[in-house]
Amino acid sequence: MLRRLAAGARHGVYGRAVLFGPRISAYDTGVGSVPIVPMTDHLTSVSGGVPDAPTLRARRLDAARDELAAAAGRGEGGRQAMRQYSHRMDAIVQQLFAEAGPVSQSVAVFALGGYGRRELCLHSDVDLLLLFSDRIDEPAEQLLRRFLNPLWDLGLTVGHHVREVAEGRTLTDDNPEFLLALTDARPVVGDATLLDAFLARSNAARTATRAVGALKTLIAERHARFNDTLYQIEPDVKESPGGLRDLFGAQTIAMLTDPTLLAQGGSGARALEDAEEFLLRVRSVLHLEAGRHHNVLRHEMQERAAARLGYTGGTARQSVERFMSDYFRHARVIDRSLRWALRAAPTPVGPNMVRAADGVRFVDAGYAADHPETWVAAFQAAMDAGCGVSDDALACIQQNAGRFTPDAFMPTADHQRAWLALLKPRAGLYERLSEMHEAGMLGQVMPEFKRIDCRVVRDFYHKYTVDEHTLLTIRNLERLANATPERARFGRVLSEIHQPELLVLALLYHDIGKWKDDDDHAAESERLIVKMCDRLQLDEEERSTVRFLVGQHLRMSLVAFRRDTEDPQIVAHLAALIGTEERLKLLCLMTLADVEAVSRETLTPWKEELLWRLYVDTYNHLTVAYGDEVIDSSPGSHAALVSEVIAGRPDDLAAEEVEHFLHGLPRRYLQLFSHDAIYAHVRLARALAPGTIRTLVRKKGNEWELTVITYDQPFLFSNCSGVLSSYGMDILRGYAFTKPDGLVVDWFHFSDLERFLAMNEGGATQMTKRLEDVVAGTTDIAARLKGREEGALVPKLPGFAPVIHSDNESSPRYTIVEIVAENALGLLYRMSRAMSESGCDVDLVLISTEGRRAIDVFHLTKEGKKLSASQLTELTANLQRVLEGRS
Amino acid sequence: MKLIKAIVRPNKVDDVKNALEKLHISGMTVTEVRGHGKQKGHTAIYRGQEYNVSLLPKMEVEVVIPDALATDAIKAISEAARTGEIGDGRVFVLPVLESYRIRTGEKEV
Repeated sequence: MLRRLAAGARHGVYGRAVLFGPRISAYDTGVGSVPIVPMTDHLTSVSGGVPDAPTLRARRLDAARDELAAAAGRGEGGRQAMRQYSHRMDAIVQQLFAEAGPVSQSVAVFALGGYGRRELCLHSDVDLLLLFSDRIDEPAEQLLRRFLNPLWDLGLTVGHHVREVAEGRTLTDDNPEFLLALTDARPVVGDATLLDAFLARSNAARTATRAVGALKTLIAERHARFNDTLYQIEPDVKESPGGLRDLFGAQTIAMLTDPTLLAQGGSGARALEDAEEFLLRVRSVLHLEAGRHHNVLRHEMQERAAARLGYTGGTARQSVERFMSDYFRHARVIDRSLRWALRAAPTPVGPNMVRAADGVRFVDAGYAADHPETWVAAFQAAMDAGCGVSDDALACIQQNAGRFTPDAFMPTADHQRAWLALLKPRAGLYERLSEMHEAGMLGQVMPEFKRIDCRVVRDFYHKYTVDEHTLLTIRNLERLANATPERARFGRVLSEIHQPELLVLALLYHDIGKWKDDDDHAAESERLIVKMCDRLQLDEEERSTVRFLVGQHLRMSLVAFRRDTEDPQIVAHLAALIGTEERLKLLCLMTLADVEAVSRETLTPWKEELLWRLYVDTYNHLTVAYGDEVIDSSPGSHAALVSEVIAGRPDDLAAEEVEHFLHGLPRRYLQLFSHDAIYAHVRLARALAPGTIRTLVRKKGNEWELTVITYDQPFLFSNCSGVLSSYGMDILRGYAFTKPDGLVVDWFHFSDLERFLAMNEGGATQMTKRLEDVVAGTTDIAARLKGREEGALVPKLPGFAPVIHSDNESSPRYTIVEIVAENALGLLYRMSRAMSESGCDVDLVLISTEGRRAIDVFHLTKEGKKLSASQLTELTANLQRVLEGRS
Repeated sequence: MKLIKAIVRPNKVDDVKNALEKLHISGMTVTEVRGHGKQKGHTAIYRGQEYNVSLLPKMEVEVVIPDALATDAIKAISEAARTGEIGDGRVFVLPVLESYRIRTGEKEV
């Protein structure tokens, strides 16, 4: 039966939790410090032998009740008397808990509701929360039985809620009453830290908002039942408007949003206290007179209450009228304060955080002071709300930041990602980071940044201290989002970057090396950012990107403003150094933001133009001219990379094998793939016979990668992309390389939109099997794709006109076709099929997508040569037809 | 006195400055300018879209020098700014009628 009871309570009326950490900690009484009031002597010195435990307990409860009843009878059943009664109840609960015996896991009992507030009335329910650290097993149920049965035997109405700590996770799906009951939770006995652990599991960010929202709804519904007026001739002292529930509602709103709220407006704190005392005394009388849980002041009760509460003199009717007038005055006080709280309460924007008129504030500054890991959320909330962090909160941060090491700010992976997410460039980031810096927080999180605090480097062009110059670069970046028309081209580049937060991180560190009087500050900055990469637990790719940006942050301005950018060699070198389009975009924006932050006059439209041209030339080199630079035995930067790859090879690979594989591939290949990926490719290519196909499917983050290694044959590329599309895969990025000996390395990065691979264990095998069949010609991919293509060809959103640009000049070996079009399922397949159908060999492909836009660059030949002008015209016309869905 | 206006490649400004300093010509004005001469700019392509870059970024270096130095200065500038490719720039020489020092009002001869 107990199992049912426990389960019933867990799925009962109550439900959702919030992080009320501050509130719990504010109590922080622990078990030992809950005062146990000694029972009066006559209870234990009963004649007739030593009574058994249940009898003793019943007597203790009776004595406690008598005590409260006596106070109620004298009209003094207010706060003090209820507090005393609550203490006595605590003692009973503690004793029962001790007698229920130990279990192997941690358990705690918390008082909820009125009992939690120590305002337990004579016949009120005793609301309890029992929390178990682990699974509720048979011994735990036995404990429950031994604990709860005696409570029921005492005749108490117990509202018990049983939870495991792990269930904190599901509180967000529970209902709001439990969430509100938890705001009053008070440890009575057991391991008081369990509640913190329980609440910490819940999704805390939305819960305070939800709690306040739920409370407002409940208040509105309850008031509606009373026709929205407090002036009831027979009022319910608990439920009516202006009653005790309204008072608790106002107090809860204040607690969740601003503890000083009720002192700032409404009826004021003093009047509210008086009203509470009055209503509690009235309620005690009602319980005493009715002998049960009864809260309605009916006419006959009004007379009795007036007498008990000392309304004497004059006729009975006059006494009652005076008493009831007082009641309504007090109810009005509560009503006024509740209205004020509803109107003026700041909006919760996160756990222990509200948005007030002066910005984001901590509800409980004491709690915030000890939890630096929560601070980043305040800045994030301020960014989201488009406001600042309040002076109060900043003062709290400033006073306490120095106590913590960097790790205290980001103890978990979630916190680390939250820090990174905060750095996404958008309006307000500069201001928030400046607040953080001035409050001394930035320097605690990034101790390296402290070294450039107010650092002055005297040269003739920098106009600001190094720290402010650094922060201004970020302001420049965030302003690109709403750039002027001339600047809009850079704004577009920013919108295309996959992880712009890495750029902000790199900007924060780019000049930190200037703490040293050294010529090469970039190298020192690069050395120092490694520490921050460790703190943020960046992955290899992210780490290498930020290190590159910091280490090379001067490179692009040097080339743009000091080198002859019309010299193709200069651009080729820069392209080789940068390696990928993504890094080029990052470095270009970094340069722009950095130059602009030197002084107001530094970034002239003239310089912008130079930088843009260098960007375009380098971009074109990376996407169009790379095909002619292949790995060979000539010296150069690629030779060093090849040596590195060979030197680092695992034991199962021979040096010649690696060298042979790399020979003839475009040099860019070395920068696009990690060493491990290259070794995997070498293995796949080992003893590969013509006509066979080797594949590798791998999950990367939320997305997937497919590598195909085989010898070239007509329609190969379109078949690969077609098979991916036939499974609904959205191809995001990709490369296709063909070596002069015909060996092909195709790599696709795609997202599994229909969760085919996630849902099917053998999905990858099935997909690669189909690829083999299609390449072998035993399966017709066109037929398989037909249905999907028809769906995809129907434009769902207003699109933009596709652009086809063909180029027979840039490369001596290839005809280059660049296509920018609206991304659609099977787009790559349809384009490459059209090329193959025109008799072209698809030798090299670069695939990228930016939002809805697909940008694909194909390097083509026909019978080993570039296309003739007429062939190119025909191909372009075919492609145009394909893109317009006419074929 | 002569005013020499030299339009040069941006990356050649430092070389031109150094060459003039060797002739003990130290006062100069350098301005970022855009324009085109014979080299009429070209059409750049970015992402398949063509855009015209007819006005090219250049630097203009201006010096006022005694007539006797003009030939040497022109030679120095030309040598320092030359790459041999289209777009190396131009040197213009203009007579200067009078010159005043603003601080003192003094007329220079």
